[in-house]
Formats: sequence, structure tokens, C-alpha cells
Amino acid sequence: MAQVKVLDPTASRQDDNASRGPDAGVIAGKRIGFRLDQIWRCWDWISEVWAAKLEAAGAQVSYWRSTNRSGLEGEEQAQSLDAWLQTIDIAILGLANCGSCTGWTVRDSVAAANSGIPTVAVATANFEEFAHVLAKRGGRSGLRVYVLPYPLNELSREEVHPVAEAYFEGLLSLMGASLTREEQAA
Amino acid sequence: MSIHVIKPSSRKNNAAKALVSRDCGPTGCEVDWLTSIRVEAEDDITAFTDFSLEKGWGDGLPLVPPTESRVRTFLSGNDRYPDEIIARMPDSSECTVEKIVINAVMAGAPVESLELIIAAIEAIAEPDFELYGVNATTAPVFPAFVVNGPVRDALNIPYSYGCAGGVATKANAIGRAIRLIMRNVAGQVAGTTSQTTFGSPGRLASILMGEWEEKSPWAPLAERRAGVEGNAVTAFSTMGTMNVLDTTSTGADAFLEMIGKSVAYPGANCFSPSMEYSEMTIGINPICAAIIAKGLRSIEDVQEVIWKYASLPADFLQAYHREQVEAQGRIREDGRIYATPEPKDIVLFVCGGLGGLHALGLHSFGSSLSQTRPIARAVPAAIAAE
Repeated sequence: MAQVKVLDPTASRQDDNASRGPDAGVIAGKRIGFRLDQIWRCWDWISEVWAAKLEAAGAQVSYWRSTNRSGLEGEEQAQSLDAWLQTIDIAILGLANCGSCTGWTVRDSVAAANSGIPTVAVATANFEEFAHVLAKRGGRSGLRVYVLPYPLNELSREEVHPVAEAYFEGLLSLMGASLTREEQAA
Repeated sequence: MSIHVIKPSSRKNNAAKALVSRDCGPTGCEVDWLTSIRVEAEDDITAFTDFSLEKGWGDGLPLVPPTESRVRTFLSGNDRYPDEIIARMPDSSECTVEKIVINAVMAGAPVESLELIIAAIEAIAEPDFELYGVNATTAPVFPAFVVNGPVRDALNIPYSYGCAGGVATKANAIGRAIRLIMRNVAGQVAGTTSQTTFGSPGRLASILMGEWEEKSPWAPLAERRAGVEGNAVTAFSTMGTMNVLDTTSTGADAFLEMIGKSVAYPGANCFSPSMEYSEMTIGINPICAAIIAKGLRSIEDVQEVIWKYASLPADFLQAYHREQVEAQGRIREDGRIYATPEPKDIVLFVCGGLGGLHALGLHSFGSSLSQTRPIARAVPAAIAAE
């Protein structure tokens, strides 16, 4: 059979930043931002638990909530995200718990990481691999992705609370964070 | 909280134009304008289809090998430079004319369809189309297209019997070309870059149909939505087709009540708390359109009536669902949640066979907003040079 040369029909961005970005370091005195969404109540609950622990360690916590990303509202969202990233030292972004919300969590996380601040995207287990694929396609394959169990949003608040407690230490570890200087020195 | 109304943004897809010299045109030049990587393959449809599946280029249906000769032939029937960047797709991949043509050749699309495909790609790449979410979502959503103008007949875009799928026409190949571009350039691959739970048959060849303007009592869709007269394409995202059968109604209001109530169901994206707003696209058959037009003066009146019926009582929803949409300010004073923020967000067009009886529901994917683009007139380079 005749051999021919065919043209590759695919295109993708070629650049990539494989860096994880800077570690979060000591939490005390840092401004920590949580990206929330409007779908996953479980993420609101987990963020509350984690924020309380971080505030107890001397951090200041702020929130930014993702809504629609199209139209005038989407344009305003993009601007407010940029402005919010200017006000924080560490970014924790979630929740990658569906397709489009993984997409936007990762896209916002890449924006945070590219701004130079310690950044972690939070995903549930079934969307972990997808989050890494999107981070790579977004030019930031080194993005830190912290994984929570799945399913999560289907649980009650009472059931989610122990998950938040159980996964806090792991979050700090992935972020390269410590609650106190003593802890960091140790 | 108040209702989130849909307003277009001022953002545009800023595709940088190529910086190469234009000293010679697409057809008469010694320069190798085609920059894609060449890969050795067998010049046989069956073998190449298998090869494409291995490479992750294909959709499983037979593909035409995109040899340099075939790609150049396709280009020579148009007047586009292959290195022109038409759009930046999600994650900044560059969709050039060359990539469009390679995928169009693979799909078997006619040479004359290039400008339609380009306009379609431009439309879905606009930020307000929100292709990033459309690609990634667990939903079955895919971009679909309504074509206006004489190009419908020139390209055999169906707008009568079976227009939403199944008609034997090369429009299927055009739709498939767009889908291959979605796969190979824009990044909508199930299980990899798309988390779609079920997918849709529309992810193979899309829905590419025309509006039956000659049977419509109203101005063409592109003219009404974007002020574009003549050849134009309107892209909208859809979860698929939903049929609305009505064998009993007798007047405009009754038909519209059936349509409005039918498209409003709790699991539709337009009622999801994940996004505060949504459009709703509906195809109305010519028979029904004529009856409706006798009872209602303008298309705005028709949109208003459908909008009124396309709503649900808030207490019809389960508590968690209701609480979330309530927090978004979407429960109105009448205790109802409306499918779209305003009547203008009900996108109507006329299509379908003369058997009537049915309407075509095309539910949107929330924040993805329909986009209309004019279709340029192709002037083949050989003619332009004369």
C-alpha cells in the first residue's frame, strides 16, 4: 500500500512551567485566600474549618467566590479575580469536583501560580487526573493539586467536618506550610 | 440578591495575525506555507482511520488522509493564508487556517465550506461562548449552529425535514470538520480534556442546520440577534435535542404554553444553581410559526409568552436545590424560577418539515452565550488573481 505524508491536525500550546511555585512557609502573619464557588456546599464547609485553623495560627483569611464566567459578569469576574490575587500571599482554590468547575478551578489556580504566590488547587479524587491534564494544557504542569475524597458533596455537614479535620495536615504538607516558626524549624 | 441578567462583555478573542511576509499568495509561491508536522501514513482510508485512532486524531468514522496535495487543493479553492490565526482556543492553542483545512479534509468537507467553518470557529472562540467550560464539563454539551443566508442552499445546509440530523448532505461533513477541530485543536476529548458523563451523538458531527427564512414570519435569526444580514452563522451550546409534541393546540398561546412548559424541567441546566443564568434555544416548525404569527404581532411577543411559561414554582424543587437558587436571587415575587433571566434570552428560529406538530428544544449550557458571525464570501485565489 502506498505510503504518503499526512499533516498533523492537532495544535496545542508548547510552553510549560513545571515549577510547583514557592512554598507557603510559616502561616502566621500571611494573608490566605480561599477561592469558593457556588455549587459545592461541601467546599464552603471545608474552607470554614481550614480557615478557622489558619486564623488561629495567625493568618488573615479572605474569600473570593467564582460565579458566571461569560458576558459582562464574566468580564467583571476576571477583573475581580486579578484584584483579589493582589491582596493575598497564599491561594487555596477549589473545588475541582465536576468538569467545568475543575476547568475554572485550575484556570484560576494557574493565574494565581503565575502571579508568583504559593498556590494549591483542591480537587476531589475523581477529578485529580483531569486537574493535572488541564494544568499542563494551561502551561503550568507543576501546579500543586490537593486531593479530597470523592464523593463529598453528597455527604451531610456532620459527615464533611471530619474530612476537613483529617485532611488539614496534608494540605499544609503539600503547600510547604507550617503553622509556627518552631514547627518549621523542626 | 437580584436577577443576574445577561449582558454581553466587551472581551474579544484576540487572535494575533501572522507576521510572515505576504509577498506571495496562497497558491503561487515557492515558500512552504504549510507548517504542520508531516507524518508518514498509508494512503488508504481504512488504514488511515486506524492510524488516526492510534494517534488520537480521529473519531472512529472513516477519515480522508490529509496529504499535502489535498490540503493545498482545499486551500486553493479559497483565499486564505494557511498561517492566519483564526482564534485562540481554550488553553491558548492556535487555530490556524491550516489546522482548519487539515481537519476539513479529513472530514470530507467541501472546499466551499471553509468560510462557514471559519465563522463557526470564530463564534465559539469568543469569550462569551465560554468554550472552556463547555469543553471541560460533565454535561453532554456541544456547540451547534444555525445558518442564515443564501449559503444554506449553496452548501445544502438542511432547514426543512430532518434538519437537526439524519439528512443525506455534506453539511454532515462540515459539522464533522468542526467537531474534529474541537477534538484536535480546541481540546474536547471525552475522558481526557472533557469529563462529559454521557456525551452526545452531536459530538460526532454537531448540529449544523439552517433557518427556513422563507417560511419564517420573522426576520432571520442572525439579523434579529446581531444585526447581520445575509450569510451568517449563529453558534450556541446545546445539551442535545428535546422534542415537544403538540397535537391538540389551536392558537398561538396554546402552542407556546406547551413549548414553554415542556422545556422547563428541574434537571435542565437553566435551573441549576451552578450557573445563575442560561439562554434557551428553540426551533419552531413553519406550520406552527404561521399560526403563532397570526396571534402575536412580533417575535418579542412570542419570546415573552414562552418565557412566561418556561418557569417552575420554587417549591417544586428539593430543599438544597431551592436554597441555592434562592441565594442567587432567582426566585421571583411570584414564587417562580424562570428558565432565562429575560424573554430576550429565549432564542427562536424557524426550521423543520411541513408535517408540523413538533418543536425543537435545544437547552443551553448555562453560561455559554450564543454568538453570531457573518460568513465571508470565498474568492478562490485563482479568480482573485485575475
